[in-house]
Amino acid sequence: MNRKMFFLVSLILIFCLPTLSQTGSKKKRPLPYEYGQVVINNFSDRAGMDPVVFQHWIHRSMFTCRVCHVDVGFGMKAGATGIKAIDNERGYYCGACHNGKKVVDGKTVFQACSTNATVEDQKRCDRCHSLNKKNVASDFDFFRFSAPLPKERFGNGIDWEKSEVLGFITPSKYLDVGSTMNKNLALQKDFALNPKVEGMPEIIFSHKKHTVWNGCELCHPDIFMGVKKGATKYTMLDISEGRSCGACHTTVAFPITDCQRCHSKPVQP
Amino acid sequence: MSKTRFIAILLFIGLIAQFGVCASGKPVGAAPQTAPAQQSWQREFEDVCSRTQDAMTFSQQELTALIQRCDALQGRIDKLDDTQKKVYMGRLRMCRGLYAYVLESKRNEKK
Repeated sequence: MNRKMFFLVSLILIFCLPTLSQTGSKKKRPLPYEYGQVVINNFSDRAGMDPVVFQHWIHRSMFTCRVCHVDVGFGMKAGATGIKAIDNERGYYCGACHNGKKVVDGKTVFQACSTNATVEDQKRCDRCHSLNKKNVASDFDFFRFSAPLPKERFGNGIDWEKSEVLGFITPSKYLDVGSTMNKNLALQKDFALNPKVEGMPEIIFSHKKHTVWNGCELCHPDIFMGVKKGATKYTMLDISEGRSCGACHTTVAFPITDCQRCHSKPVQP
Repeated sequence: MSKTRFIAILLFIGLIAQFGVCASGKPVGAAPQTAPAQQSWQREFEDVCSRTQDAMTFSQQELTALIQRCDALQGRIDKLDDTQKKVYMGRLRMCRGLYAYVLESKRNEKK
Protein backbone atom coordinates (compact mmCIF):
# COMPACT_ATOMS: atom_id res chain seq x y z
CA MET A 1 0.00 0.00 0.00
CA ASN A 2 2.77 2.38 1.03
CA ARG A 3 4.72 1.52 -2.06
CA LYS A 4 1.69 2.18 -4.26
CA MET A 5 1.10 5.51 -2.53
CA PHE A 6 4.74 6.50 -2.94
CA PHE A 7 4.66 5.61 -6.62
CA LEU A 8 1.48 7.63 -7.14
CA VAL A 9 2.82 10.73 -5.39
CA SER A 10 6.08 10.51 -7.35
CA LEU A 11 4.16 10.24 -10.61
CA ILE A 12 2.06 13.30 -9.78
CA LEU A 13 5.16 15.26 -8.82
CA ILE A 14 6.97 14.32 -12.03
CA PHE A 15 4.07 15.60 -14.13
CA CYS A 16 3.60 18.73 -12.04
CA LEU A 17 7.24 19.83 -11.81
CA PRO A 18 7.50 21.46 -15.26
CA THR A 19 4.41 23.51 -14.51
CA LEU A 20 5.58 24.46 -11.00
CA SER A 21 9.00 25.52 -12.28
CA GLN A 22 7.45 28.15 -14.58
CA THR A 23 6.94 30.85 -12.04
CA GLY A 24 7.10 33.82 -14.47
CA SER A 25 4.06 35.34 -16.05
CA LYS A 26 3.85 35.78 -19.79
CA LYS A 27 4.18 39.37 -20.90
CA LYS A 28 1.47 40.75 -23.12
CA ARG A 29 2.87 42.05 -26.38
CA PRO A 30 2.01 45.76 -26.57
CA LEU A 31 -0.01 47.10 -29.46
CA PRO A 32 1.88 49.39 -31.89
CA TYR A 33 0.55 52.58 -30.30
CA GLU A 34 1.30 51.26 -26.81
CA TYR A 35 4.91 50.35 -27.51
CA GLY A 36 7.24 52.71 -25.63
CA GLN A 37 4.44 53.95 -23.41
CA VAL A 38 5.67 54.93 -19.94
CA VAL A 39 3.48 55.28 -16.88
CA ILE A 40 4.89 57.80 -14.40
CA ASN A 41 3.50 57.66 -10.91
CA ASN A 42 6.01 59.11 -8.48
CA PHE A 43 3.67 61.58 -6.86
CA SER A 44 0.41 61.57 -8.88
CA ASP A 45 -1.48 59.14 -6.65
CA ARG A 46 -0.51 61.05 -3.54
CA ALA A 47 -1.64 64.28 -5.17
CA GLY A 48 -5.01 62.68 -5.92
CA MET A 49 -4.41 62.59 -9.65
CA ASP A 50 -4.22 59.80 -12.20
CA PRO A 51 -0.70 58.65 -13.13
CA VAL A 52 0.89 60.21 -16.22
CA VAL A 53 0.92 58.23 -19.46
CA PHE A 54 3.82 59.28 -21.64
CA GLN A 55 3.79 58.42 -25.34
CA HIS A 56 7.27 57.91 -26.69
CA TRP A 57 6.24 57.67 -30.34
CA ILE A 58 5.21 61.28 -30.81
CA HIS A 59 8.09 62.71 -28.80
CA ARG A 60 10.75 60.63 -30.54
CA SER A 61 9.50 61.85 -33.90
CA MET A 62 10.44 65.40 -32.83
CA PHE A 63 13.58 65.00 -30.74
CA THR A 64 16.59 62.72 -30.60
CA CYS A 65 16.91 60.51 -27.52
CA ARG A 66 19.82 62.62 -26.31
CA VAL A 67 17.83 65.84 -26.09
CA CYS A 68 15.43 64.39 -23.52
CA HIS A 69 17.59 61.82 -21.76
CA VAL A 70 20.75 63.92 -21.49
CA ASP A 71 19.95 67.60 -21.94
CA VAL A 72 16.53 67.68 -20.32
CA GLY A 73 17.57 65.01 -17.83
CA PHE A 74 14.91 62.29 -17.99
CA GLY A 75 16.11 58.97 -16.55
CA MET A 76 16.17 55.82 -18.64
CA LYS A 77 13.75 53.95 -16.40
CA ALA A 78 10.17 54.84 -15.60
CA GLY A 79 9.99 56.70 -12.31
CA ALA A 80 13.75 57.12 -12.03
CA THR A 81 13.65 60.88 -12.54
CA GLY A 82 11.25 61.71 -9.72
CA ILE A 83 9.60 64.57 -11.60
CA LYS A 84 7.48 66.89 -9.48
CA ALA A 85 4.86 69.33 -10.70
CA ILE A 86 6.99 72.22 -9.45
CA ASP A 87 9.88 71.03 -11.68
CA ASN A 88 7.61 71.32 -14.71
CA GLU A 89 6.33 74.68 -13.58
CA ARG A 90 9.88 75.98 -13.29
CA GLY A 91 10.45 75.05 -16.93
CA TYR A 92 12.38 71.82 -16.49
CA TYR A 93 11.59 68.24 -17.60
CA CYS A 94 8.16 68.23 -19.34
CA GLY A 95 7.98 71.97 -18.69
CA ALA A 96 10.99 72.56 -20.94
CA CYS A 97 8.59 72.29 -23.90
CA HIS A 98 5.16 72.08 -22.30
CA ASN A 99 5.19 75.68 -21.14
CA GLY A 100 2.23 77.14 -23.01
CA LYS A 101 4.64 79.24 -25.09
CA LYS A 102 6.65 76.92 -27.32
CA VAL A 103 5.19 76.60 -30.80
CA VAL A 104 5.56 73.38 -32.81
CA ASP A 105 4.15 73.13 -36.34
CA GLY A 106 2.12 76.28 -35.77
CA LYS A 107 0.54 74.94 -32.56
CA THR A 108 1.28 76.18 -29.06
CA VAL A 109 2.45 73.32 -26.86
CA PHE A 110 0.08 73.04 -23.91
CA GLN A 111 1.40 73.92 -20.48
CA ALA A 112 2.23 71.12 -18.04
CA CYS A 113 1.39 71.57 -14.37
CA SER A 114 0.44 74.89 -12.84
CA THR A 115 -0.15 75.80 -9.22
CA ASN A 116 -3.07 78.03 -10.04
CA ALA A 117 -4.94 75.43 -12.10
CA THR A 118 -8.67 76.08 -12.28
CA VAL A 119 -11.53 73.66 -12.91
CA GLU A 120 -11.33 74.61 -16.58
CA ASP A 121 -7.70 73.48 -16.57
CA GLN A 122 -8.75 69.94 -15.65
CA LYS A 123 -8.90 68.90 -19.31
CA ARG A 124 -5.33 70.10 -19.75
CA CYS A 125 -4.20 68.09 -16.68
CA ASP A 126 -5.98 65.03 -18.08
CA ARG A 127 -3.92 65.12 -21.25
CA CYS A 128 -0.98 63.72 -19.30
CA HIS A 129 -2.57 62.39 -16.11
CA SER A 130 -4.56 59.99 -18.22
CA LEU A 131 -4.14 56.42 -16.97
CA ASN A 132 -7.47 54.59 -17.23
CA LYS A 133 -9.09 57.62 -18.85
CA LYS A 134 -10.95 57.36 -22.09
CA ASN A 135 -11.27 60.00 -24.82
CA VAL A 136 -8.20 61.95 -23.74
CA ALA A 137 -7.65 65.05 -25.87
CA SER A 138 -4.60 64.78 -28.12
CA ASP A 139 -3.19 66.74 -31.04
CA PHE A 140 -1.86 63.58 -32.63
CA ASP A 141 -3.45 60.35 -33.77
CA PHE A 142 -1.08 57.38 -33.95
CA PHE A 143 -2.65 55.77 -36.99
CA ARG A 144 -2.81 58.99 -39.00
CA PHE A 145 0.74 59.81 -37.96
CA SER A 146 2.19 56.39 -38.78
CA ALA A 147 0.28 55.78 -42.03
CA PRO A 148 2.86 57.33 -44.42
CA LEU A 149 5.94 56.11 -42.52
CA PRO A 150 8.05 53.08 -43.57
CA LYS A 151 6.81 49.96 -41.85
CA GLU A 152 8.53 47.58 -39.50
CA ARG A 153 7.26 44.28 -38.12
CA PHE A 154 7.62 44.91 -34.41
CA GLY A 155 7.50 47.65 -31.82
CA ASN A 156 5.53 50.64 -33.05
CA GLY A 157 5.40 49.05 -36.50
CA ILE A 158 7.46 51.98 -37.75
CA ASP A 159 10.99 51.90 -39.15
CA TRP A 160 12.20 55.03 -37.35
CA GLU A 161 15.66 55.00 -38.85
CA LYS A 162 14.33 54.83 -42.39
CA SER A 163 11.72 57.45 -41.57
CA GLU A 164 14.49 59.91 -40.78
CA VAL A 165 16.58 58.95 -43.82
CA LEU A 166 13.57 59.47 -46.10
CA GLY A 167 12.78 62.79 -44.46
CA PHE A 168 9.43 61.85 -42.91
CA ILE A 169 10.72 62.89 -39.50
CA THR A 170 13.49 65.29 -38.51
CA PRO A 171 14.23 64.78 -34.82
CA SER A 172 15.82 67.90 -33.39
CA LYS A 173 19.24 67.54 -31.75
CA TYR A 174 18.84 70.73 -29.79
CA LEU A 175 16.35 72.27 -27.42
CA ASP A 176 16.52 76.00 -26.79
CA VAL A 177 16.11 75.39 -23.06
CA GLY A 178 19.12 73.77 -21.47
CA SER A 179 20.78 71.96 -24.38
CA THR A 180 24.54 72.07 -24.54
CA MET A 181 25.62 72.46 -28.12
CA ASN A 182 27.34 69.28 -29.15
CA LYS A 183 29.13 68.94 -32.41
CA ASN A 184 28.43 66.04 -34.68
CA LEU A 185 30.42 63.08 -33.50
CA ALA A 186 33.47 61.96 -35.42
CA LEU A 187 32.34 58.66 -36.86
CA GLN A 188 33.33 55.51 -35.05
CA LYS A 189 33.67 52.33 -37.04
CA ASP A 190 31.05 49.60 -36.93
CA PHE A 191 32.21 46.43 -35.24
CA ALA A 192 31.10 42.83 -34.99
CA LEU A 193 30.17 41.04 -31.79
CA ASN A 194 30.35 37.28 -31.62
CA PRO A 195 27.22 35.60 -30.38
CA LYS A 196 27.63 32.77 -27.92
CA VAL A 197 25.44 30.35 -29.86
CA GLU A 198 27.13 28.54 -32.72
CA GLY A 199 25.53 29.13 -36.09
CA MET A 200 23.90 32.39 -34.99
CA PRO A 201 24.73 35.30 -37.33
CA GLU A 202 27.16 37.85 -35.86
CA ILE A 203 25.90 41.12 -34.45
CA ILE A 204 27.02 44.19 -36.36
CA PHE A 205 27.00 47.09 -33.98
CA SER A 206 26.87 50.47 -35.64
CA HIS A 207 28.24 53.30 -33.50
CA LYS A 208 27.09 55.69 -36.21
CA LYS A 209 23.46 54.65 -35.96
CA HIS A 210 23.51 54.82 -32.19
CA THR A 211 25.43 58.05 -31.60
CA VAL A 212 23.42 60.08 -34.07
CA TRP A 213 20.43 59.93 -31.71
CA ASN A 214 22.06 59.16 -28.38
CA GLY A 215 25.43 60.88 -28.16
CA CYS A 216 28.05 59.10 -26.04
CA GLU A 217 27.14 59.73 -22.42
CA LEU A 218 23.71 58.17 -22.66
CA CYS A 219 25.26 54.70 -23.03
CA HIS A 220 28.72 55.08 -21.49
CA PRO A 221 29.35 54.27 -18.74
CA ASP A 222 25.85 53.87 -17.26
CA ILE A 223 24.63 51.14 -19.62
CA PHE A 224 27.88 49.81 -21.06
CA MET A 225 30.58 49.97 -18.41
CA GLY A 226 33.38 47.93 -19.96
CA VAL A 227 35.93 50.07 -21.75
CA LYS A 228 37.25 47.38 -24.06
CA LYS A 229 35.23 45.77 -26.83
CA GLY A 230 33.69 42.60 -25.43
CA ALA A 231 34.59 43.52 -21.82
CA THR A 232 30.95 43.83 -20.79
CA LYS A 233 29.46 40.35 -20.93
CA TYR A 234 25.75 40.10 -21.40
CA THR A 235 23.33 37.43 -22.45
CA MET A 236 19.99 37.51 -24.22
CA LEU A 237 18.42 37.02 -20.80
CA ASP A 238 20.13 40.20 -19.53
CA ILE A 239 18.89 42.05 -22.59
CA SER A 240 15.35 40.78 -22.21
CA GLU A 241 15.41 41.98 -18.60
CA GLY A 242 16.27 45.50 -19.73
CA ARG A 243 20.01 45.52 -19.21
CA SER A 244 22.66 46.53 -21.81
CA CYS A 245 20.99 46.72 -25.28
CA GLY A 246 17.71 45.95 -23.54
CA ALA A 247 17.71 49.39 -21.89
CA CYS A 248 16.24 50.67 -25.17
CA HIS A 249 15.59 47.57 -27.26
CA THR A 250 12.90 46.19 -24.99
CA THR A 251 11.18 49.48 -24.37
CA VAL A 252 11.37 52.06 -27.15
CA ALA A 253 13.76 51.05 -29.92
CA PHE A 254 12.88 48.02 -32.08
CA PRO A 255 12.41 45.02 -29.77
CA ILE A 256 14.67 41.97 -29.53
CA THR A 257 12.07 39.82 -31.26
CA ASP A 258 13.34 41.42 -34.46
CA CYS A 259 16.46 39.19 -34.42
CA GLN A 260 17.86 40.02 -37.86
CA ARG A 261 18.15 43.71 -37.15
CA CYS A 262 21.14 42.95 -34.89
CA HIS A 263 22.22 39.46 -35.91
CA SER A 264 22.81 40.65 -39.42
CA LYS A 265 26.18 39.27 -40.54
CA PRO A 266 25.86 35.94 -42.31
CA VAL A 267 27.70 33.04 -40.75
CA GLN A 268 31.00 32.35 -42.53
CA PRO A 269 31.33 28.73 -43.66
CA MET B 1 2.11 128.07 -20.21
CA SER B 2 5.07 130.13 -19.02
CA LYS B 3 8.62 129.08 -19.77
CA THR B 4 9.50 128.63 -16.05
CA ARG B 5 6.48 126.42 -15.45
CA PHE B 6 7.41 124.26 -18.48
CA ILE B 7 10.98 123.83 -17.21
CA ALA B 8 9.66 123.01 -13.70
CA ILE B 9 7.39 120.27 -15.11
CA LEU B 10 10.27 118.83 -17.14
CA LEU B 11 12.50 118.82 -14.05
CA PHE B 12 9.73 117.14 -12.03
CA ILE B 13 9.31 114.37 -14.63
CA GLY B 14 13.09 113.92 -14.74
CA LEU B 15 13.26 113.59 -10.96
CA ILE B 16 10.48 110.96 -10.91
CA ALA B 17 12.23 108.97 -13.62
CA GLN B 18 15.53 109.19 -11.72
CA PHE B 19 13.82 108.04 -8.49
CA GLY B 20 12.28 105.07 -10.28
CA VAL B 21 15.68 103.87 -11.41
CA CYS B 22 17.39 104.37 -8.03
CA ALA B 23 14.64 102.85 -5.87
CA SER B 24 14.52 99.52 -7.66
CA GLY B 25 18.24 99.41 -8.31
CA LYS B 26 17.61 98.82 -11.99
CA PRO B 27 15.75 100.63 -14.77
CA VAL B 28 12.00 100.32 -14.33
CA GLY B 29 10.56 97.82 -16.80
CA ALA B 30 13.88 96.21 -17.57
CA ALA B 31 13.81 92.46 -18.15
CA PRO B 32 14.83 90.35 -15.13
CA GLN B 33 18.49 89.47 -15.37
CA THR B 34 20.15 86.26 -14.38
CA ALA B 35 22.52 86.64 -11.45
CA PRO B 36 26.14 86.83 -12.59
CA ALA B 37 27.06 83.93 -10.29
CA GLN B 38 24.46 81.72 -11.93
CA GLN B 39 25.61 82.78 -15.37
CA SER B 40 29.17 81.89 -14.51
CA TRP B 41 28.45 78.32 -13.32
CA GLN B 42 26.17 77.76 -16.30
CA ARG B 43 28.80 79.01 -18.73
CA GLU B 44 31.36 76.71 -17.13
CA PHE B 45 28.89 73.81 -17.19
CA GLU B 46 28.13 74.32 -20.86
CA ASP B 47 31.78 74.67 -21.73
CA VAL B 48 32.70 71.43 -19.95
CA CYS B 49 29.73 69.29 -20.94
CA SER B 50 29.41 70.39 -24.56
CA ARG B 51 32.63 68.54 -25.38
CA THR B 52 31.42 65.02 -24.71
CA GLN B 53 31.22 64.24 -28.43
CA ASP B 54 34.94 64.92 -28.71
CA ALA B 55 35.87 62.82 -25.68
CA MET B 56 37.66 60.20 -27.79
CA THR B 57 39.96 62.79 -29.34
CA PHE B 58 41.22 64.25 -26.03
CA SER B 59 44.55 63.34 -24.49
CA GLN B 60 44.73 61.86 -21.00
CA GLN B 61 45.81 65.23 -19.59
CA GLU B 62 42.88 67.01 -21.21
CA LEU B 63 40.44 64.41 -19.91
CA THR B 64 41.86 64.68 -16.40
CA ALA B 65 41.48 68.45 -16.54
CA LEU B 66 37.85 68.12 -17.67
CA ILE B 67 37.12 65.69 -14.82
CA GLN B 68 38.60 68.16 -12.35
CA ARG B 69 36.43 70.94 -13.77
CA CYS B 70 33.39 68.68 -13.35
CA ASP B 71 34.33 68.06 -9.73
CA ALA B 72 34.73 71.77 -9.12
CA LEU B 73 31.27 72.40 -10.58
CA GLN B 74 29.60 69.95 -8.17
CA GLY B 75 29.90 72.30 -5.21
CA ARG B 76 28.37 75.17 -7.18
CA ILE B 77 25.47 73.10 -8.51
CA ASP B 78 24.83 71.80 -5.00
CA LYS B 79 23.79 75.30 -3.96
CA LEU B 80 21.05 75.60 -6.58
CA ASP B 81 17.33 75.03 -5.94
CA ASP B 82 16.03 71.44 -5.79
CA THR B 83 14.90 71.31 -9.41
CA GLN B 84 18.05 72.75 -10.91
CA LYS B 85 20.18 70.58 -8.66
CA LYS B 86 18.33 67.46 -9.80
CA VAL B 87 18.66 68.34 -13.49
CA TYR B 88 22.23 69.60 -13.55
CA MET B 89 23.69 67.08 -11.08
CA GLY B 90 22.32 64.30 -13.28
CA ARG B 91 23.83 65.84 -16.38
CA LEU B 92 27.13 66.51 -14.67
CA ARG B 93 27.29 62.91 -13.46
CA MET B 94 26.81 61.64 -17.03
CA CYS B 95 29.30 64.07 -18.47
CA ARG B 96 31.96 63.35 -15.83
CA GLY B 97 31.24 59.63 -16.12
CA LEU B 98 31.97 59.68 -19.84
CA TYR B 99 35.28 61.53 -19.45
CA ALA B 100 36.35 59.10 -16.72
CA TYR B 101 35.27 56.18 -18.91
CA VAL B 102 37.27 57.38 -21.91
CA LEU B 103 40.26 58.15 -19.72
CA GLU B 104 40.21 54.62 -18.35
CA SER B 105 39.91 53.18 -21.84
CA LYS B 106 42.93 55.24 -22.98
CA ARG B 107 44.94 54.07 -19.98
CA ASN B 108 44.01 50.47 -20.79
CA GLU B 109 45.10 50.94 -24.41
CA LYS B 110 48.61 51.85 -23.31
CA LYS B 111 48.95 48.78 -21.08
